[in-house]
Amino acid sequence: MNSAVTKQEIESALVDRFGHVFERYERLPAETLSTGSEEIDDALQGFPRGAITEIHGTASSGRTSLILSALSAASSQDEICAVVDCDDTFDLSSAANAGVDFDRLLWIRCDHNLERAFKAVDLILHSGGFGFVALNLCDVPAMTLRRIVSSWWFRFRRAIENTPTAMIVLTPLAAVRSCASLALELNNKGAVWPSTLSLVSDNGYSRFTGGSETGSHLYLVTPPAQSRAVNPAHSQFLRSTSICINRTRPVQWQLPAVNFRPHLR
Amino acid sequence: MFVCIYGRGVSRTRNSAVATGENSLLVDLAFTFSPLVEQTTIDTVVLDASGQELLFGGTSEFSESAEVESAVNLANEIFSRSKYLLLKTNVAVASNPDTAIHAARSFRGISLIPPGEELSPLGSLSIKKLDCSLVAIDEKRAEELQETFALWGIRTFADLARLPLAGVAERLGQDGVRLQKLAQGQTHRNLNLVRPPVGFEQSLELEHPISELEPLSFILSRLLNQLCANLNEYALATNEVRLSLGLEPVRTPLACNQQHAGGVRTKCAHELGINLPVPMRHPKTLLRLLVFEIEREPPQAPIVSVTIDAVPVKPRAAQTGLFIPLAPEPERLEITLARLVKLVGSDNVGSPEILDTHRPDAFRMKRFTLNHRGHGGRNPKAGINRQSAIGNRQCVMGFRIFRPPWNADVQTVRGRPARINARNPKISSKVRGEIVCAAGPWRASGDWWRSDVWARDEWDVAVLDSTSNENEILCRIYRDLTSEQWFVEGVYD
Repeated sequence: MNSAVTKQEIESALVDRFGHVFERYERLPAETLSTGSEEIDDALQGFPRGAITEIHGTASSGRTSLILSALSAASSQDEICAVVDCDDTFDLSSAANAGVDFDRLLWIRCDHNLERAFKAVDLILHSGGFGFVALNLCDVPAMTLRRIVSSWWFRFRRAIENTPTAMIVLTPLAAVRSCASLALELNNKGAVWPSTLSLVSDNGYSRFTGGSETGSHLYLVTPPAQSRAVNPAHSQFLRSTSICINRTRPVQWQLPAVNFRPHLR
Repeated sequence: MFVCIYGRGVSRTRNSAVATGENSLLVDLAFTFSPLVEQTTIDTVVLDASGQELLFGGTSEFSESAEVESAVNLANEIFSRSKYLLLKTNVAVASNPDTAIHAARSFRGISLIPPGEELSPLGSLSIKKLDCSLVAIDEKRAEELQETFALWGIRTFADLARLPLAGVAERLGQDGVRLQKLAQGQTHRNLNLVRPPVGFEQSLELEHPISELEPLSFILSRLLNQLCANLNEYALATNEVRLSLGLEPVRTPLACNQQHAGGVRTKCAHELGINLPVPMRHPKTLLRLLVFEIEREPPQAPIVSVTIDAVPVKPRAAQTGLFIPLAPEPERLEITLARLVKLVGSDNVGSPEILDTHRPDAFRMKRFTLNHRGHGGRNPKAGINRQSAIGNRQCVMGFRIFRPPWNADVQTVRGRPARINARNPKISSKVRGEIVCAAGPWRASGDWWRSDVWARDEWDVAVLDSTSNENEILCRIYRDLTSEQWFVEGVYD
């Protein structure tokens, strides 16, 4: 007697009694929120709704640029947005330049208090109705971030499950871990610096309140020789940076890094 | 049947305080006997005497006679009561309001105009006593008609009543026809009822003073339930609720009434209020908001009385649609905002508003409200254009600003910043290292006419992080020209 019974034979025997338990159901594609950048949307399909997205990277890696772009896109679509700012670093000028509609934005400033920030996020998520919720932890020290208990992230994920709310967390390093449905790592690939025309006097800066500059000359201020990736442009300030986005969760080996370039104005 | 009360002593001058007082007495007198009262003029009120047979009914077996008898008994009662109140009145009973009004104004004491016999007592009245306003004829037209009547030799109600209808209609129009019916006592209309002013206030005097929030919340809940039920009855809501807590007098120097220091103190009151962005009438929401407000500003003494007053407004009419984006419910949003205010402070919650000034980072926080952009928010065609605009928009570089700016120690070489060391003790972050790239300076200044003048030279710099040689931090630093101090304003991110 052949004792080796295949899995298929078992399933076919049980399906008559238990119906379609062995059928695999296709998971419906999650709704997404636009990131505001066409190239990023094409690659990543946007930020998933009803889930947590984590954006981590070092300083000047483009996290704020990406979040402002997404905020602008969301507010322009009449979504109600909330920004929980742990260290009060949300800049209104750059947000206005990005096109964020402040009438659709609720801004909570937490005065460097991480616990307050988490409680504020908890209140907002449980209140419901917000389409976009951003938690800014960019300046929280790494040691503090590692001490955040996972139960907070589980609680947030549970609160927004099956809702149209997209929650984005900005961190200097990966902290949300498995609770994030999408995790993006950002790196700065280089800045675009201009050639700058500057008036600098021979004797240094003159005082604002005092006398006039004498014997001033025109200097062309150029970056030093050891700088890299300099592409002079005809402007006065930093014009743009090149950001590289790697999707670290969910892992998909075929997906290359996405590059995007935010501009100053 | 209708009963008219005419106040003989009430002046028609509206400025007279006495007239106002007597007028209110007339209205109150009428309300004592019937809820259906019309205040025709300041000295004339009419009430509906129907349905009073059980109270004032007579012995007649016929319903019509019983009704008349009860109306007459009612009129007698009104006359007696007015004498008791020292009011000089005439009271008239008739089958329609206008006949009763004319009779009360013309005949002293109590008069009865039997149904169907209106012309008999009214016929002899002077035509000048005909009140044209009762048939919606304005004063100017009424004067013209009176002149016409005078020319025609019409002196009394009976003279006008006997004119042929066709002739009156032909010569005086519909106004004349209405006046003729008025003179005949044949007008029938509904009373223009007086509605007493509706107040939405609930109060309660406590038997024992309370000093804890939990028992107070039970009392507030009870009062709010009644208040919201009243609002619901009138199909109204409220966007402002005022709470007044009567406090137990306290004999301490710190009590609220400093004028009575050392003596017997008068009862103090602790006033609170909440302003809602949208009209509401949900008692639980209002209760939570009031409790948050009390926790924010607790009373300084035990509470002996509670009064809640709501300002009535029309409820909001919000039409939802299938394609409107998600938005928080106004009631839940208000509670969430109140909780956030309690958590982080009122100055740290809201919508930002950039001020119209060149001063860097000048803004104010305003209250966050949901502004629905009509017709569910969007034009479908605009949505399509918006989508393509999102795809075509250029990403703007973000900036993280430090509030307040970090003090920095910057070493310069030939006027250019070459090395920087800045640290924020609050969050133990730092910007330290060699400046590998710098663009600037950009001189900015403003408010030179004020004491808080500001002036600075700004630089965009790339700092090679001393801890990680591969990491460049792009930040904006500036040198304050008034203090000669360097600061790190923020980081490009």
